[in-house]
Amino acid sequence: MKEITVSFLLNGKRTSVTSLPNRTLLDVLREDLGLTGAKDACGGEGECGACTVIMNGNSVNSCLVFIGQIEGTQITTIEGLMDKGEFHRLQKAFVEAGAVQCGFCTPGVILTAKALLDNDPHPTDQEIREGLSGNLCRCTGYNKMIDAIHLAEQGGLHD
Amino acid sequence: MQEFNYHRPVTIAELKEFLSQPGARILAGGTDIVPRMRQGKFSASILVDTSGVKAMRFIEDQGSEIVLGALTTHQETADSALLQNINPALVTAAESIGCQQTRCRGTLGGNIANASPAADTLPPLLVFDATLLLQNKEGERWIPIEKFLLGPGKTDLREGEFIHSISFKPMIGSWGAAFIKVGKRSGMAISVANAAVAVELNDKGKISDIRIALGSVAPTVIRCRKIEQALLGKEPEMALMKEIHDASQEEISPITDIRSTEEYRDHAAVVIIHRALENAVEQAKERGR
Amino acid sequence: MTDRFLAVGKSLHRKDAWDKTTGKALYTADIPIENLRVGMIVRSPHHYARILEIDKNQSQEIPGVLAVLSSDDIPGAKVFGSLIPDQPSLAIDVVRHIGEPVVLIIAETKQAAQEAADQIKISYQPLGAVFDPIQAAREDAPRLHPDGNVITALNINDGDIEKGFKEADHILEDTYSLPRIHPGYMELETSLAIWGENQTITVWVSSQHPFTDQDFIAAALDLPVENVRVKLGVIGGAFGGKEDSSLSILAALGAWAIKGAVRLVNTRRESFVAHPKRHPAQIHYKLGARSDGTFTALKAEVHMDTGAYASYGPAVAMILTETLAGSYRIPNVQVESYVVYTNSPLSGAMRGFGSPQSHFAVESMVDSMAEELGMDPVQIRRANILKVGEKMFTGVTLNETANALPICLDQAQEIMDRFRAVEVSPGKKAGVGMALAAQSMGLGANVPDDSSHRLEWAPDGRVLIHLGSPDLGQGLAMAVEQITAEALDLPYSQVESLPLDTLDRPNGNVTCASRMTYMAGNALIDASEKLIQDLLTHAGEILEVPAKKLIYKDGQIIKEDGSKLPVVEFLGRLAEKSITLTSESTFSFPYPEETTPQDLPIGMPHVLYCFGAQVARVEVDPDLGTVEVTHFAAIHDVGKVISQSGVEGQIEGGVATGLGYALYETMLRKDDQWVDSFTEYLLPTSKDLPTHYENIILEIPEASGPYGAKGIGEIPLVPTAPAVANAVHDAAGVRVTELPISPERVLGL
Repeated sequence: MKEITVSFLLNGKRTSVTSLPNRTLLDVLREDLGLTGAKDACGGEGECGACTVIMNGNSVNSCLVFIGQIEGTQITTIEGLMDKGEFHRLQKAFVEAGAVQCGFCTPGVILTAKALLDNDPHPTDQEIREGLSGNLCRCTGYNKMIDAIHLAEQGGLHD
Repeated sequence: MQEFNYHRPVTIAELKEFLSQPGARILAGGTDIVPRMRQGKFSASILVDTSGVKAMRFIEDQGSEIVLGALTTHQETADSALLQNINPALVTAAESIGCQQTRCRGTLGGNIANASPAADTLPPLLVFDATLLLQNKEGERWIPIEKFLLGPGKTDLREGEFIHSISFKPMIGSWGAAFIKVGKRSGMAISVANAAVAVELNDKGKISDIRIALGSVAPTVIRCRKIEQALLGKEPEMALMKEIHDASQEEISPITDIRSTEEYRDHAAVVIIHRALENAVEQAKERGR
Repeated sequence: MTDRFLAVGKSLHRKDAWDKTTGKALYTADIPIENLRVGMIVRSPHHYARILEIDKNQSQEIPGVLAVLSSDDIPGAKVFGSLIPDQPSLAIDVVRHIGEPVVLIIAETKQAAQEAADQIKISYQPLGAVFDPIQAAREDAPRLHPDGNVITALNINDGDIEKGFKEADHILEDTYSLPRIHPGYMELETSLAIWGENQTITVWVSSQHPFTDQDFIAAALDLPVENVRVKLGVIGGAFGGKEDSSLSILAALGAWAIKGAVRLVNTRRESFVAHPKRHPAQIHYKLGARSDGTFTALKAEVHMDTGAYASYGPAVAMILTETLAGSYRIPNVQVESYVVYTNSPLSGAMRGFGSPQSHFAVESMVDSMAEELGMDPVQIRRANILKVGEKMFTGVTLNETANALPICLDQAQEIMDRFRAVEVSPGKKAGVGMALAAQSMGLGANVPDDSSHRLEWAPDGRVLIHLGSPDLGQGLAMAVEQITAEALDLPYSQVESLPLDTLDRPNGNVTCASRMTYMAGNALIDASEKLIQDLLTHAGEILEVPAKKLIYKDGQIIKEDGSKLPVVEFLGRLAEKSITLTSESTFSFPYPEETTPQDLPIGMPHVLYCFGAQVARVEVDPDLGTVEVTHFAAIHDVGKVISQSGVEGQIEGGVATGLGYALYETMLRKDDQWVDSFTEYLLPTSKDLPTHYENIILEIPEASGPYGAKGIGEIPLVPTAPAVANAVHDAAGVRVTELPISPERVLGL
């Protein structure tokens, strides 16, 4: 099995990674790049959303993306959300609204929410529920996440 | 995770070349294949990643036909105003698949090639008699979707072949097409039963054309021609549950599995055909005005 | 302390939330470690089999393989268990469930570990397995353990059961079936162990009971307890499921074997088959009532499937049994509860701990009886709820907090009326249902239940809480910070909990049983008072005045003449003399001799109860049988809200778990395989939960609680399933007695 090299934008920076091709973006983020914000909660079946990252503006399950597929793409992980030391308004909103308990699902949910708001700046509750339906959470019951997303939305234009 | 050599073509010509190698399989969105490879249920010694082949992502109105590139994602299908006008059942189906993360990755071609008996895009394609364009290094061939599906997870796709595009003719006149799905929960729902119904009403308001496709009640998604026959020529206002039920008994063979029972699927199939029919008839009447 | 609260009762920001939103929070699988080796567990492919031989030779020869370990290689205790030490760390002679750990492989790479796992030769002789606890309890069932399959047989009686049924005008009986449930935490079981110098080891765990892990690891490695240091990564949820030390012991064993660093992370599949689940149960329930609605008798027989090993089975049986009469006065009761081994995966602790099972039975049956008598469901409950000073059938007297019960019913009534007035969606049938709940706090009478915590006043003025128990993600740290800030008259921002490390930490005991805010809160209020006294004593010495002439308030020492000096000054002076201001306190769960019955087995009864009620509005599709919960209300008495957002979060998350129990979740066995993934095991997503949701939080002070607070950790998922079942019955006339309430069960297909 031959290694491959991919070049992509990672949190705004040009990045290049060499890896065996049968590894996923989740593997590479966690094991090669030290970015452990993306998590595995379902064994790589795409059932939990804890591994969510944003790829070319869409929230995707990084456990389902073989590393070769990110060539030339723009990837945003949770580590890339802060801007010059300033928390993103979604991060602030999640803390403010009490939407963070154990936090394991939080990075994935925040990124899903970002992709949602970037596409649709003023979603209804139902649209938020639809948008979050690929992110499992066992702690919160999702209500405060919906509050948080509305709170973030009031912040104005998306980034 | 199994080992494979990896190629990423950007043109269809490159795709054909890589795929012609022995043991080569296509990777599209990965939402079906990646977990199955992890579980040892899918193998490829060469994986050909089509994510760079932009030429296969399109939705086109070619006049007499609508053509969709095989790499069109479910999100693109769901967002298509053109498809909402031509095959609203397909739009409803695409919207119902998975979640935000998987809809922007999963593709029409992948859903078809995976050939799950519960696949959601298949019933809306079957009721429009969709045809697939299959290509390989040597050439190409057309095949009706119905003939392409051979069994659970089995298709007529040959070595070196891939689905290039899917086409179907729009319906004309007073027509409607609807899709209904029953799952065990609302979010990320795998179908326990799903149905598409396309109907055309004549100027007397009777059913002049009807196509019904059901998933999760047979080894493949199927067209239910016996039920169609039973409903042809009828007035849609008549409660047609009995006709649907009786004809379905000769046509469907649901099983009991981890998700549901034979008895429930048998019952649900009739309910959802009826509801999809009602919805399609309402659309037909709207279009007829 | 005044009536005006500084910190208690407010919605404040959790201090750990920021790192969780940025990916900085380190769960045990995230901790970066040099020279980390790969661990892989080879597990039983059989439900029940004798191990004939384990041939490690080929595996051990593979390049990169560092150790191939079986039970024989464990230097110390080969079995463990909090109640009954019957659980082998690695299988001994026999495997009793699919997924049981048999061999532990440590290697330099994943590939080498996988190869070793593929090459190892384990020969088994499969034996006939049994999965039904009623069958397994019979004499002719395969004997899974030397002392037989029934590990607990409780027989609790009160009054005269025959007389009770004679007095009844109506008698109903039914059997309720409760499924196997995964606790569903998102963070998988993980443990990281690093061998140290001088026969020491450090083990990171994701665990509710790090001090127990410490004991079990020491026993397994034959080390003194002081040589084992246990630390906590950030914990990604537990819900009872992380009171099992199997992975911690194995990680430690691996690190010991190679004298290096090993991390084990369960896959979700392993988590399903090899880690404890909620006990499935069959509850046969017979209730007698007079025509006026008053209950006269309850007879119940319970069979609980504890799976291959005991885990917390006997204790779960106790709470299940004690709560079978719910919140009601039933003068004549007979309950037989059996906990039985089967070849299913282990059942153990899970949020609710028997009460969700019992309440599905009692609250469904009460509604059935209401229907039989032509009574309103709230009315029949009013006729039977226990009052302050009355006794449960276990002999436990309820204190003033039982005043919550009629208030819960009043609230439920109002909500049910409102929900009933909601317009019904076309084509659907709507129904409203309610259920009451009583959830115990504490580990049970005569079970040692002490919780120790320490405070340190740092020279910079911050107060550090050396919390002796883990925050599982639910916000325990925030709650105790609020309590401590309140007790010390300091801003919340000045109080901080430190991550747990057994090296320098008092033992706060396991975070479970709805009691840790109560236990730690009480201990820390006491420790705060001691700290203040200590401070005043030292301040007096420094100022050369008697300590009793000084007052502490608001972070300042106030002298007799009214002048104020900031505490920080004194702390600085003490630091110069190398004096650190600390205080430690231990709180023991109160079982007052006068009111605690002593005639029951150890671990019974529980004496302090939380009360609540929930109301569900459902719409049922009459043709498809699908159930949608459109409106939901949770009414819970918490004694005193410590953290507003924390309490709401616990309730909302618990309700979601309860709705999963009601409608979607079950770990089935089909074609000889267990459901072992989230594809088939359906947790509720955001789309599956009610769009209309109300929290009604009552505060009826618990005299023994910190600022009057009680527990809230478990009760929010206790009345949920019966509330939904009752609503479904109201909507569609169908009484579903087996969970989950699937469309198939609603239609009888």
